[in-house]
Amino acid sequence: MNAVEHQGADAPSHPDSRPAEQGIVISRGLRVYLRTMTPADLRHLSGWVDDPFLERMVGSEFLHSYKHVWDKSPAFYEAVLNDPTQVALMIEACHGWTKPVGVVRLFNIHLLEGYAFLETIITDMRAMKRGFGIEAAKLIAYYGMDVLGLRRLEAKVYEYNVLSMNSLRRNGFRQEGVLRQAGYDGERYWDLVIFGILKDEIEAVRRRDKVYLPLDPSEGNGREPS
Amino acid sequence: MSATAIDKQEVGLEGLIRLRLAGPLTAATAPRLRARVRNMVQRGHARVMVDLQAVTGLDAAGIAALLDARRALLAQAGGTLVLRTNAIVCRALKDSGTIAVFALSHGSGM
Repeated sequence: MNAVEHQGADAPSHPDSRPAEQGIVISRGLRVYLRTMTPADLRHLSGWVDDPFLERMVGSEFLHSYKHVWDKSPAFYEAVLNDPTQVALMIEACHGWTKPVGVVRLFNIHLLEGYAFLETIITDMRAMKRGFGIEAAKLIAYYGMDVLGLRRLEAKVYEYNVLSMNSLRRNGFRQEGVLRQAGYDGERYWDLVIFGILKDEIEAVRRRDKVYLPLDPSEGNGREPS
Repeated sequence: MSATAIDKQEVGLEGLIRLRLAGPLTAATAPRLRARVRNMVQRGHARVMVDLQAVTGLDAAGIAALLDARRALLAQAGGTLVLRTNAIVCRALKDSGTIAVFALSHGSGM
């Protein structure tokens, strides 16, 4: 049984009765669903960009751009919506939350070459370690493969972000290398760990998926030796 | 966010069928285009012009739908896909690096 479903190539544009101003649900899992951004989401982004914990753990160019390039301008929404090199979707928990728990996106999308980069940001501390990020990344990976025709995804993680590295591994990503001292947090340089996954490996994860995805806190332990 | 309107017109010139789209062609709306093109292929139509002059936004999902349409149509005997573009569409195709794979029409249409 598939744990997730997304709006496939032939699905109607509006699979549910949500008003358009609430965003269109693109993919739905057991714990979270992904929906398109709306102008009102900029209010959430405004709070997230000022969170020093997120800045340190993720170092998101997406959030950085909203704050420092666009100066939190409402025009950022249209820029994201019409950017042909990225798909940014809001992560909503299926139960228990009244606002988005984060954002997940594919960026630097190369449609002809079939690759893109993945970024998953869980912004609510209470939503961490619940499998939301893992499922959101899984959903957008399937979307990238099924709808965008991607065959490879990459992700970069700061060496100290063990939670993200373990999440990627749970989704079948493999550590492919280390960019030595490529990240700077304002005080010192850190290694960036590169992860990648290919289409057949994404398919393997989809076949392996169970309806219930229990988390094992002891799984994985940060980066592998180089 | 509004839905993409798709209007089909049959035209005689070169046997092309024109699909005219209006509004954003994005992750929220691209599935409709995919469905329409697949339906046309199933009906034996292989020569299509997608008129994007009234499209107001185009993201990666929209371009992926156009690429899929191109693949599906070119796989048919005598199949062809022509895009009638505007500045927004041209910019998106350039930025995505896909503009060279499409046959473009900038004229007044058919």
